[in-house]
Amino acid sequence: MPVTLVDRLPLPNLKVYTAGSVSLLSIAIYYALSATSDPNWRVNVTQGRQEGMAEPGDLEAQLVMTSPPVVAGNGTRNISDQFVDVMTFMMQEPLCVWTLINLAYCSLAVFGFGVQRLVFGQLRVAEAQRVKDKFWNYVFYKFIFVFGVINVQYMDEVLLWCSWFTLVGFLHLLGQLCKDRYEYLSSSPNTEGWVHVRLACLLGGILTAATALLGAAAAWGLPAGRDTFAFMAAECILVLVAVLHVVARYVLQLYECDVAGPVAYYTHLVFDSVSLVVELIHVLHMVVYSNMLVSMASLVLLMQLRHLLHELQARVRRHRLYTSLATHMSRNYPMASKEEVDKNQDNCAICWEPMKEARKLPCSHLFHNSCLCQWVQQDASCPTCRRGLAGAAPARPAPHAAPLPNHLFHFDGSRYVSWLPSFSVEVTRVRGELAPGPALDNTAQQLQHMFPQYSIATLTADLSRTASADLTLDNILEGRLVAAEPIPEPEPLPVQQQPTLLDVATSTIEPWTPPSSAYLLPTTSTAGTDTIERSNRGTGHSTVAPENLVEDDVSLGGFAPSAASRAAALARRKERLVAGARLRYLRRLPRAP
Amino acid sequence: MAGSALRRLMAEYKQLTLNPPEGIIAGPINEENFFEWEALITGPEGTCFEGGIFPAKLVFPPDYPLSPPKMQFICEMFHPNIYADGRVCISILHAPGDDPMGYESSAERWSPVQSVEKILLSVVSMLAEPNDESGANVDAAKMWREDRDQFNKIAERLVRKTLGLPPP
Repeated sequence: MPVTLVDRLPLPNLKVYTAGSVSLLSIAIYYALSATSDPNWRVNVTQGRQEGMAEPGDLEAQLVMTSPPVVAGNGTRNISDQFVDVMTFMMQEPLCVWTLINLAYCSLAVFGFGVQRLVFGQLRVAEAQRVKDKFWNYVFYKFIFVFGVINVQYMDEVLLWCSWFTLVGFLHLLGQLCKDRYEYLSSSPNTEGWVHVRLACLLGGILTAATALLGAAAAWGLPAGRDTFAFMAAECILVLVAVLHVVARYVLQLYECDVAGPVAYYTHLVFDSVSLVVELIHVLHMVVYSNMLVSMASLVLLMQLRHLLHELQARVRRHRLYTSLATHMSRNYPMASKEEVDKNQDNCAICWEPMKEARKLPCSHLFHNSCLCQWVQQDASCPTCRRGLAGAAPARPAPHAAPLPNHLFHFDGSRYVSWLPSFSVEVTRVRGELAPGPALDNTAQQLQHMFPQYSIATLTADLSRTASADLTLDNILEGRLVAAEPIPEPEPLPVQQQPTLLDVATSTIEPWTPPSSAYLLPTTSTAGTDTIERSNRGTGHSTVAPENLVEDDVSLGGFAPSAASRAAALARRKERLVAGARLRYLRRLPRAP
Repeated sequence: MAGSALRRLMAEYKQLTLNPPEGIIAGPINEENFFEWEALITGPEGTCFEGGIFPAKLVFPPDYPLSPPKMQFICEMFHPNIYADGRVCISILHAPGDDPMGYESSAERWSPVQSVEKILLSVVSMLAEPNDESGANVDAAKMWREDRDQFNKIAERLVRKTLGLPPP
């Protein structure tokens, strides 16, 4: 693609380009001024022209010829006259015209840069890359369009198309940026409102500009022929649809619409398909218009056509899957009754949010309708117990849809007591029994993980007696298994110590050693436990300045409401974890000789 | 899509902050982007990784929790189930659809009821008990089977490295 090649080109940056353009313009103006200082410049210029161009067809030149040469006195020409003169001269002189065109592009670039700085600030790398790719792609396709499809012959026609595509492409790129930025913003929980306001303003601006361009296409394109109008309008419509899609997503978000619900789904469907269909028709129109099947241009166009058709097909397929899933789910998995939802106090296991209404799977697990729908598109099984949903997901027949019976043990603790966890234990059965060995140890460990009050030895013993995780679990739950010896409380780690006021006081009074020396000095090898505890405490607090103590409490026990204090608390917790681990590591080391 | 993922990640972050599992800390690297987290995992006791604090990066897909996050250790690691670049190879991180090794049952794989906490706990137990059937790092798997002393020495060096201590 042209992108890789273009990346290596030494393109000047905006400052250099602007400076160059402005100096070019001033040179051109100076040239125009000096040329028009002679009151008879019109005559000179047209004479020069006529000598230069042998063709007598130049209407404008003849007109100028016939107009009486200005012979007024030097002093009487006022500034506005002079300005008009300079402008007329510049419009006639090819070099000056090019300078003016360059200036127009330059000011557009400066304008775009200003908008970018104002609305987006620094572009993220991904955004910048996307814009760059899109830009060169656009240039490539429009080049094909102008020289391959329209096949323009005259310079001014090329110029007209160029300026048209510049404007449309500018809006395209801004729209793309808005879309990327919107997606980025929606992935961050704490964005100030005015960021959204500026983005919304820009979106409005793009919409207005695109509508104005559509009007311009109707005003100037229509007289030039229906094809021209169709080409111009298609571009505007594509920009409009893309921007409207972003706006619609904003609106959906504003109304807190269910992301997988039918409203959001059909909105996306409509926008996606409209934009695909319009683009498809646009390209098709180009192919028909250019009327040449054997050329590079049509090859490129056909490739694009193929790509678009593929996308459309994929979209239709996705839609079919969606509708078939929706009907399948509504037919096979009824919505849970009000009592069932009320009784089940857990949140939806997929999104962790409370359920007002829920869909019930055959295994009697409840989920939000939209959450479940999205998951089932990926895998036809219950997310909680992994029980296969026979017949679901018609697009991707899952080979593992029906798990072997007894392969999995599922424990839904919430059915017994609401605070008990739900979990699944995979039981590796050897001829239906748990033989002593790694599998049994494994199960014992898993059980111990869930019921830390039982020691691993107790669990292993019971497991080898029952040879079944189910039975042992029953024993535990029904209290038949006695926690033989209470496990010694794990030594409290310095990181988890809740600082009481007393602790804080002692630690601030104590001349604590700087953190680095606390673990580098071999105090641990000589000191008793008491000093270690103290130095622990010292390291624990060493990172906290006294004025941060209130916030510090939050960091240990709560979830701060603001992002900055959350981040600070997280960083402190990390520091403490590392420092504590370092200390424990050094304590564990064999004593130095 | 991203909205519900964001809310869920926020809830998980809150839960992990309020009730952190022992020796595990996880949270977004920068709250500007909630889809990239850093986690610190303490090497499980009684294993050769005991005492080490291993940092890892978690990258969540926009459709989280429907798809699993990707996890990669950002410190040097030597373990049969961790690729040389730090990516972690455990079944809980594999989406139900793909099965790179062809041996996992779907029950062990990702499901939206899994969470960051469960992933990190699985990784801790993976550190304790490497699964030498899935050779993400063949050298490490071989050494784990055949030359445990050498493996332990390497692990010891890594532990010291993560703690910022000079090698023994």
